[in-house]
Amino acid sequence: MFNYNVKLALKSMRRNPIMTALMVAAIAVGIGISITTLTVYYMMNGNPIPEKSDVLFAVTMDSWNPLRPFDQDNPERAPHQVTYHDAERLIAIAAGKRQAAMFESSLIIEPVNQDDLPFEAGARVTTGDFFSMFNVPFIYGSGWDRSADAGAEPVVVLSKQLNERLFGGEDSVGKRLIMQNTQFQVIGVIDTWEPTPRFYDPINGAFQEINEMFIPYSLTRSLELISAGSDWGWKSEEITSFEQWLNSESAWIQYMVELESPRDRDAYLAHIDAYVSEQKRLGRFERPLNNYVYDVMEWMEYHEVVANDSKVLVGLSFLFLMVCLLSTIALLLTKFVGKQGETSLRRALGASRKIIFKQQIVEVAVIGFSGGLVGLLLAGLGLQGIQYLYDSPDGLVTLDWVMMLTAIGIAITSSMIAGLYPAWRVCKIPPAAQLKTQ
Amino acid sequence: MGFRPMLSSLMRNKTGPILVALQIAVTLAIVINSLFIVIQRVEKINRDSGIDVNNVIVTYVRGFGDDFDVASSITNDIDLIRSIPGVVTAAVSNQVPLSGSGSGNGLRIVPDETVEAVSTARYRWGVEGLDALGVELSRGRNFFAEEVNFVFPASDPPAPASILITQALADDLFGDEDALGKTVYWGSMEPSTIVGIIGVMHGSWVGWDKLGNSVIQPGTQADTTNKYIIRVEPGMRDKLMPIIEQELGESNRRRVVKSVKSLEELAARSYRRDRGMAIILSVVITLLVGLTALVIVGLSSFHVTQRTKQIGTRRALGAKRIDIIRQFMLENWLITTAGAVLGVVLTVAVAYWMETSFGLERLDWRFLPAGIAILWVLSSLAVFEPARRAASVPPAVATRSV
Repeated sequence: MFNYNVKLALKSMRRNPIMTALMVAAIAVGIGISITTLTVYYMMNGNPIPEKSDVLFAVTMDSWNPLRPFDQDNPERAPHQVTYHDAERLIAIAAGKRQAAMFESSLIIEPVNQDDLPFEAGARVTTGDFFSMFNVPFIYGSGWDRSADAGAEPVVVLSKQLNERLFGGEDSVGKRLIMQNTQFQVIGVIDTWEPTPRFYDPINGAFQEINEMFIPYSLTRSLELISAGSDWGWKSEEITSFEQWLNSESAWIQYMVELESPRDRDAYLAHIDAYVSEQKRLGRFERPLNNYVYDVMEWMEYHEVVANDSKVLVGLSFLFLMVCLLSTIALLLTKFVGKQGETSLRRALGASRKIIFKQQIVEVAVIGFSGGLVGLLLAGLGLQGIQYLYDSPDGLVTLDWVMMLTAIGIAITSSMIAGLYPAWRVCKIPPAAQLKTQ
Repeated sequence: MGFRPMLSSLMRNKTGPILVALQIAVTLAIVINSLFIVIQRVEKINRDSGIDVNNVIVTYVRGFGDDFDVASSITNDIDLIRSIPGVVTAAVSNQVPLSGSGSGNGLRIVPDETVEAVSTARYRWGVEGLDALGVELSRGRNFFAEEVNFVFPASDPPAPASILITQALADDLFGDEDALGKTVYWGSMEPSTIVGIIGVMHGSWVGWDKLGNSVIQPGTQADTTNKYIIRVEPGMRDKLMPIIEQELGESNRRRVVKSVKSLEELAARSYRRDRGMAIILSVVITLLVGLTALVIVGLSSFHVTQRTKQIGTRRALGAKRIDIIRQFMLENWLITTAGAVLGVVLTVAVAYWMETSFGLERLDWRFLPAGIAILWVLSSLAVFEPARRAASVPPAVATRSV
């Protein structure tokens, strides 16, 4: 019966090709646009590290100006970064299971051979815990341990791309690089790792490519590494040496911690409060106690990682889909009016209302399915367009199977809903009534 | 011919017209709100930056190694660039306007920390800075050569005696008072005197509502990464970019030429979200308007076919062709207008939602009549061809039985 219905549907679609094409086009355009915007939203709104997002926390401490808050629009917030020396001390206290202090920097990789050209590469300066905290996958070697952190050893972990550029992709563990007049030893190469959004640094960009290399945080002092990311200051301090810069109240370090369980959150915050209270006695942290820890998803929300534009687009595109459905209903109605003769005849020959109704619904579902398929193609094109417009890293926005099923699902369900009323109208046609005048 | 036959024909088959009216209502809500956003973004992108964006090249260089002398490297580089034919001038700046990265400060008109400071982007460049960006002083004077010294990282120089500020910053600081010659105070409470005022110059962050606020200190910034701003003769930019990159690269192997980019490209990058939104919404509007028009054409063609007999009867009873065309046009106009009325309510609701939930600007009411006018024209165009076809139904059709 189903096959027969599909056959009838196809036949009926062919009889009125322009109407059919219009309906399929309406659904396709509606699906194409809403799936495009929904995919972008879904990507921005995604959980970049679902297995751990509730035990990883960003730490903020209110070390800001006693006279005014860090963020005038959200006066309750503490600065989103911490000072260098506070981060250094929190690492030493090690109150969590693992901790990552970090900032963006860049270094010149000096040529080993005379013929090679030096070039600049982006680096994330961080503690060795970074790799295990964030489940970073390795192709070769591994990250560094806490003793390398403590000894400020010049070691480096390369991204897959940088290893490709420097060593042609081979196992480069043990090889050496010269940066900042220092010999660095390669100890690991990470595999493709694209957490989206880039949760560990929404401040410098949630949708950028990951860093080209990673080096120990404890090298900051000896190599005088400067931040390529943002730094925020409020205090007028005399800074004429790097050491003074490190000891200043400027907040430029991002600090994240991993706890054993989400339940340890309050206990950890108490540690931070205790640290700040101790600093208060030394005359720092003059604002009232105002420290927070944010888990990964709260941190994404804090930084409004999902752009408002994206939400507006999702809203507008679903209104668009509504227009497409209204069109489909209107078109179906008109089309079914034209089928009165045929329906009457079928009814007269013994087809029950149920059978007629089913047949109409199948026809609509076929139209919906075709519209969904074409819509998916359009969405693919749309995402290519968005990738180009926003100059985003390759593969950042792609249709995965969840979105594909969603697209087909929305197409069929919505077109069936659109088809209900017309189908009901059609099956109310009395048998043979139409035949009389013919 | 009156409304009566038309209304009665509309009433006989209510569902179809209601659906079309609904569709027009939602279309109106999307088109007006999208169009409003598009126009706002386009205006934002096309604001006058005060800078000769099309003829400026920006170069980022970085030295390395123990023996690297940043001051002499900068001096040699700038001399080299200025000697290239086609280059108007070149300058060192601590940050690049419209590029999205840079630093800012707070300024006050009284040395009192409890007074809220006015935020501004802070530039540092020498005598050639203004000319290199093509920015014009509206009043006062440029820096003197003796005011310009090298500033090294972590050297924490005292506040300069003379500074330039933009008119926008002057207005923020002093309101209606004349800012020229006045004193402002930095975070350290050191004073500086305003010696010149720049009419318009955009700062670094295009999304900032104080984009027009900039203060310029005299000096040559010698950082790890140095930024050269190069203005060239009109039309020479794309030809000169590879030449500059090559000549700089060859002149010193202890210095990496990180990038040579046009300021136009950097600015486009800063505005890419706004441009993206404008383009996406334009595509949405085009598709939507096209779809609605096609649906109106499709539906009215169908109705014409359905009502061939009625039309024939009217023609046989003496209705002229123009009457038939008028009937269909009027019928359509009535549906469109009903849809538009509902659409206005919906448009305002959507605009309210976007304003309150996402902080978008309030819809300009003038977009409402404009949107309705567009829909009227569009739906009339869409229905014209089917109506013309209806008018060509011969009166004799009435006498045939289908």
